[in-house]
Amino acid sequence: MNTLNLFSSRFDLRAGLLAVIAALALLLSAPTPARADDAQTVTATVNGMVCAFCAQGIEKKLKAMAETQSVKVDLKSKLVAVSAKPGQHLDPARIKQVIVEAGYEVRELKVGGAL
Amino acid sequence: MTRIHRCLLAAGLVCASTVQAAPMGFAGSAMTMADYDESWRMLSANYALTRSDAIGASISELRPDHGGRETLTQLEYVRLAHRWNLTDAQANVWLFGGLGELDRGAAGSAVAWSPGIQADYETTRLYAAATARLYRAGSVERDQYSLRGGLSFYEAAYDEPQPWLIVDARRMVGLYDGWEVTPMLRIIHKRFFVEGGVSDRGNVRANLMITFF
Repeated sequence: MNTLNLFSSRFDLRAGLLAVIAALALLLSAPTPARADDAQTVTATVNGMVCAFCAQGIEKKLKAMAETQSVKVDLKSKLVAVSAKPGQHLDPARIKQVIVEAGYEVRELKVGGAL
Repeated sequence: MTRIHRCLLAAGLVCASTVQAAPMGFAGSAMTMADYDESWRMLSANYALTRSDAIGASISELRPDHGGRETLTQLEYVRLAHRWNLTDAQANVWLFGGLGELDRGAAGSAVAWSPGIQADYETTRLYAAATARLYRAGSVERDQYSLRGGLSFYEAAYDEPQPWLIVDARRMVGLYDGWEVTPMLRIIHKRFFVEGGVSDRGNVRANLMITFF
């Protein structure tokens, strides 16, 4: 009887340890949610951006930045969204400067978001 | 036509037109422009040194109604004097300058100069522009004045071609009498800009702009 109880308690302990390990593994393997301020994506609302012929200057200059993965332009909503390469971060102030140097005005700058 | 003129043409250089929407590209870009019509054929190219300044060269062949052919070769300067970036629109004032030579064949040649100004306003659906440019060489005047207005058929996405209907009213002093009105179809697709139409004088017109970077 004692032998049976001891076996049962050892089995419970092993099962419990396995459950904890499995839970930890799940937690560690789950993707980390992006923080809103990690500057993986920067979205700018641009005044004066009304035609593709003009806006290509913005696209070209932003794409030339080393940390840029992609640039998306939406003329209807006047938005420019810049995404960073994996492991890299964008500098919102630098993005604003590039757009201004291209001849436009940044009305709003948001970290995060996408088109 | 001199060797310089042929070289410029062969190189695909364009002369600046008074009818362009944006007569220069963004800083560090080059723009070529070609305009064709019965009275004035032009090739030009410019390079944007800054977001507000571009330098270039142009060559034009002028064909007055009264006969003869003239060749105008110029160095060009374009200045974005001011831009208003509005919430849903853009407005600009551009200044032009040109210095070169007008060759009138047997009638001789003279130093040519050509100051000009353009004001324009544009949204994603509407366009308006007024341009005046003086072309002078000695006692010869070939001034151009134009008014343009247009609308886009729809609001296109950035990566889609956008068609426009543009109506251009133009006067070219010394080339023909009165004003010429031309409805034109314009298509803009990123770095390409092309438009064409037939005027009330039966004049076939076409303009092309391409930006390089």
